[in-house]
Amino acid sequence: MPMSEAAMSDRGETTPESASSAKPMAGDLATIRGLTREYVSSAGLFSMKRTMRAVNDVSLDVPRGKVTGVVGESGCGKSTLARLVLRLIDSTSGTVAVNGVDLGSLTARELRKLRRNMQMVFQDPYSAIDPRYTIRDALLEPFQIQGVGFGAAGPVGAIDELIARVGLSPRLAGSYPHQLSGGQKQRVGIARALALKPSFVVLDEPTASLDVSIQAQIIGLLEQLKHELGLTYLFISHDLSLVRYFCDRIVVMYLGRVVEILPDARARPRHHYSLALMDSHFEPDPKRRKVVTRLAGEIPSPFDLPPGCAFAARCPAATGLCTRERPLLTGDAAGHQAACHHPAG
Amino acid sequence: MAFLSVRGLVVGIGRLTPLDGISFEIGKGEIVGVVGESGSGKSLTAMSVMGLLPLIGGKVKAGAMTFDGIDLLTLPPAGYRALRGKRMALISQNPMTSLDPIIRIGAQIDQMSRLHLGFEAEAAKARSIDLMEQLRIPDAATIYGSYPHQLSGGMKQRIVIAMALAADPDLIIADEPTTALDVTIQAQIIQIMVELVRERGLSLMLVTHDMGVVAQACDRVVVLYAGRVAESNGAGGIFEAPSHPYTRELVRCIPREGQPPGSLKGIPGAVPSVMDYPSGCRFHPRCPEAMPICEASVPALERKTTGLAACHLETVHAHV
Amino acid sequence: MVSAATLRNILLTPRGGLSALVLATVIAAAVFAPFVAPYAYDIQSLRNANLDPSWSNWMGTDEFGRDLFSRIIYGARTSLTVAITAISISVAVGMSLGAAAGYFGGAFDKAVTAVVDLTWSFPEILIALMLIAIIGPGLNSTMIAIAIAYLAQFTRLTRAQIMSLKNETYVEATANLGAGHAHIIFRHLLPNALTPVIVAGMLATGDAIILEATLGFFGLGAQPPTPSWGAMMSSGTAQIFIAPWIIIFPGLAIAVTVIAINLFGDAVIEALDIRNRLRDV
Repeated sequence: MPMSEAAMSDRGETTPESASSAKPMAGDLATIRGLTREYVSSAGLFSMKRTMRAVNDVSLDVPRGKVTGVVGESGCGKSTLARLVLRLIDSTSGTVAVNGVDLGSLTARELRKLRRNMQMVFQDPYSAIDPRYTIRDALLEPFQIQGVGFGAAGPVGAIDELIARVGLSPRLAGSYPHQLSGGQKQRVGIARALALKPSFVVLDEPTASLDVSIQAQIIGLLEQLKHELGLTYLFISHDLSLVRYFCDRIVVMYLGRVVEILPDARARPRHHYSLALMDSHFEPDPKRRKVVTRLAGEIPSPFDLPPGCAFAARCPAATGLCTRERPLLTGDAAGHQAACHHPAG
Repeated sequence: MAFLSVRGLVVGIGRLTPLDGISFEIGKGEIVGVVGESGSGKSLTAMSVMGLLPLIGGKVKAGAMTFDGIDLLTLPPAGYRALRGKRMALISQNPMTSLDPIIRIGAQIDQMSRLHLGFEAEAAKARSIDLMEQLRIPDAATIYGSYPHQLSGGMKQRIVIAMALAADPDLIIADEPTTALDVTIQAQIIQIMVELVRERGLSLMLVTHDMGVVAQACDRVVVLYAGRVAESNGAGGIFEAPSHPYTRELVRCIPREGQPPGSLKGIPGAVPSVMDYPSGCRFHPRCPEAMPICEASVPALERKTTGLAACHLETVHAHV
Repeated sequence: MVSAATLRNILLTPRGGLSALVLATVIAAAVFAPFVAPYAYDIQSLRNANLDPSWSNWMGTDEFGRDLFSRIIYGARTSLTVAITAISISVAVGMSLGAAAGYFGGAFDKAVTAVVDLTWSFPEILIALMLIAIIGPGLNSTMIAIAIAYLAQFTRLTRAQIMSLKNETYVEATANLGAGHAHIIFRHLLPNALTPVIVAGMLATGDAIILEATLGFFGLGAQPPTPSWGAMMSSGTAQIFIAPWIIIFPGLAIAVTVIAINLFGDAVIEALDIRNRLRDV
């Protein structure tokens, strides 16, 4: 197997520990420039091929030691973006650099080796572990794939430590995934992602398929791990309240494009789509019932986007300019960027 | 007497007992939320009221259920069929389970008023288009002639709501009506649905897992946990002075605006499975205030400082 | 793949237990034929031709005076060897083709799918006959012909399994840990795809026994004096009115074996609850 060969040459180089220091360092861990992913669909035998850009010219920086949130509704491209950033799928154009290394310039083998430093926690914990693997096997697999040693504690100690770190009982090591609850499975998914001591973790809606009481557990665990291990997160979610709670900065996506970047989770959005998202969230407080600003119109088809702002048809502030000309992402000194001709306050 | 009354409902499916003593009431014109996590029995409660248990092999084993004075448990199937659609209407999570893919939208809404109210074709069409406009469906006349697959998910759910309202029902049971939809669409649909229900003075049983939706829409709330009622309280009580530790902890699981980092903890443990319910109070293994008695005996649903709760504690502290 | 508990569940049902017993008997007879058969399969004795079944010849004798019971036992050897070998080759090649096509997709997948769909539209017997017409009759050609005739089925089944499995989150998660294609295919995809393919292979073995018998009946399979159930039936047609047992007993042997395989396969499918995974081909 090619893996073991790569593993041999790897021993004695940078130890995984050095990749993640406990203190966050300054600067950006990941730099994304002009990232685009096209999908071509041929709906039928005689229909024309249609192209859609699931992710369209996205540029953003992921600061080290921080949580960057990407929020948007279904079809906005946030999950595709997560996979592009880790190069789990190839981009049509654009670049992603992690720790200064352009992922697009790497050979397949180099990329595989680098994966130990950038991991992902997936949305669906129910299918994230091979049903034929015990929890112990699933946690051993990252070490086997990368040919990384277990350290002084040996394989048993290393697995025990991982299991304890994500708050699972060591008794579960011999269990199969179907014997675990959804929350326990997601903890295993997190343990697997952390096994190789990465510094960058992409969280793709890690709590979307969990119950409310379990979702809060998992978010609490992720916060704790971030502090203990000095991790950098890219957090993908459709839940703006969760993003505002968990993230240091927020990226709002609509139909493949970034429409707003908030440098601070508490900042008041300026893009009318971000405002609508905020407005659509019901606070768990009957004294704060709200009248939802009515968004007219429908979400346009991603195969047939209008020439102007994609949100114009639903936007309360839209003018003729918005339907003709697409607004560019422009920002202020604080780094608050919005792609809107008529930004709010 | 309450419009809909469910008392001590026990439902069995095979050897399992997924509902074990559910009691609540819905008054005329009242919006009552039925909330709970997965496996709490909230959807099954909705199915029981609609008389749809036979579809999944469920049986009512004990309890009583009345709707406007009609005993639902002794009602023959034909009587239930006459009630469903006409006096009580269901809005389900997935609109495609309510819409026939090969029949035009308009005909499907028309059918409700023609069948249940005896409307003629012209009158039914006028009524359907009027309803669609009330639901703020743009260009209702065009949509009237289209097929379900031509519409977005949010639009389909509006059509299902129009169908539910078409026969002038007294009670609407909405089972996670917006869970499958995006947040911006969800907010609009909840808003329109609540408006229309209020305008007509209908009763609404809103089954959901979303505490935000409950806070936004409901007068009263029934909190289910593992097949039993944990608490039954006014919306204000649920969020400000809960009488069951589960309710308090559940509300705390949702990040509020301005919530400081690191303060979200969740409830330890896992939601129990129907195969393996704990003894006594089913929440006791996860409860921060559990006492020895909680494991030993099942607490009765009784009056507390606010609302009703099934808890051995006299008063629940807001902070632990 | 099948845990001890599942196996016990299968064997404890009347259908599963009985069919397993019959199959075990047939297999044991085939394996231990020299010890079980009362006579050699090729000793001719024209004096004893077409004898009725009796205490010394349980199933009577054939037109050359050979003991029919002994020939049926040795025939089990031929039938089972040919069927099992052919299907094993077919499963091995089909899984490799199907896995590669399903996993990598692209032009290779298109080519494999085109060939598979083409052969899928012909009955197995037709394909086998065509192949034997090209490579000539005999036991080895029969095996090759049967293997190729069933190839489409296993390729399709494996491909469909792999296509659905590769979308599972754990495959993406493993790739994200830095695993290569070989690791993903051999450690995750194939182990999870194996069960339905093996069960389909078991069921196809029953069909392959019939196919082998059919080819044998036409004289295209095992050549005399090697006993083969199909060839035995063929020679029995001439004696059908004077010595009907010559055609009846080999026919019964085929029927009992094939029915037992199908019943056992059904019991396995039910116990593992994989009927829908076999259907989606």
